[in-house]
Amino acid sequence: MSAHGKKGTGTFIQQRVTAFLNIFLVGFLIWLVVSLAGADRATMAATFSNPFVFVLTLVLFASVLVHMRIGMGEVIEDYIHTPSMHKLCMGLNTAFAVIVGAIGVLSVLVLAFGG
Amino acid sequence: MAELLLDKRSRPKKGKVWPKPEGATRLREYHVYRYDPDTEANPRIDTYFVDLDDCGPMILDGLLWIKNNVDPTLTLRRSCREGICGSCAMNIDGANTLACTKGMDEVGNGPIKIYPLPHMPVVKDLVPDLSTFYEQHKSVQPWLQTKSPTPDTEWLQSRDDRAKLDGLYECILCACCSTSCPSYWWNGEKYLGPAVLLQAYRWLIDSRDEATSERLDYLEDPFRLYRCHTIMNCAKVCPKGLNPAKAIAEIKKMMVERKVA
Repeated sequence: MSAHGKKGTGTFIQQRVTAFLNIFLVGFLIWLVVSLAGADRATMAATFSNPFVFVLTLVLFASVLVHMRIGMGEVIEDYIHTPSMHKLCMGLNTAFAVIVGAIGVLSVLVLAFGG
Repeated sequence: MAELLLDKRSRPKKGKVWPKPEGATRLREYHVYRYDPDTEANPRIDTYFVDLDDCGPMILDGLLWIKNNVDPTLTLRRSCREGICGSCAMNIDGANTLACTKGMDEVGNGPIKIYPLPHMPVVKDLVPDLSTFYEQHKSVQPWLQTKSPTPDTEWLQSRDDRAKLDGLYECILCACCSTSCPSYWWNGEKYLGPAVLLQAYRWLIDSRDEATSERLDYLEDPFRLYRCHTIMNCAKVCPKGLNPAKAIAEIKKMMVERKVA
């Protein structure tokens, strides 16, 4: 009975914590989308200039993307067993989360500070 | 990559229809998976007719009646015939269970479909190869481990601590749960599966055991423990009414408590 691959619990905790946060953050997202439905760019910029909305949106991106990356990672772990394909899929999964996160954060920054 | 289809060599074909017993008035049709590794033939599904007036009420009774009266080459494991040994675990009418405790009247009126435990290598007919399963069981060191000096008499335990083992010690290692688990199907060599994890928890929660930290160290792995996605097939099929998924959740809880403590 030897210890091996000292990870798993950390990912499990991240998955559970982000799942819990997402309950509230997705509620916030729905409120945001509904309240901005049909709004012009100036209204959107004003909304995202609000520090509360700005920070919550960034937290939303972080929490949802971390959760999404873990979830897709689990699917890859389950079904993709060829080492090279597994490595490639894991890399693409991380790259996708980073790119989506970067585009999201950049968009919010432009709206909040660029007007 | 996970394989979603059996290879051509393993796909069962329509097999032999054995004659109905002469003079029988009450018959039950059995469709049974047959596979002989000594031939090149694909597995096949044979049809048998069991004389209910000459046979006990359980599925196992029917299988033994077939073996004794119709086809002695039909191969299956059985021993206690009362749900204690776990030998006759098989897939009956789409769900894993023990043939000895499942009544013929519990599976409707149509043909009774019987296959070996799913997603395991087949030794012959209804006999799966459980070597990996037993190795995994061995890997969690399912015995009492202590560091304190051995007492003069037995290792004592309070009634409350003993009660914590209820729902765990009853496991008969029939493998119904593990072989019903999709995560175990896809990663059976790396994921320990519900039966073994239930056994692991049985020792983790035992107040007399002093190897908790080492046991948790062994389970700290993305595959050994964390392939459980709470699908719950294990609890649904357990012929002893146990809940391996709950035991797995308790291990995860112990892991988290240890990590954040």
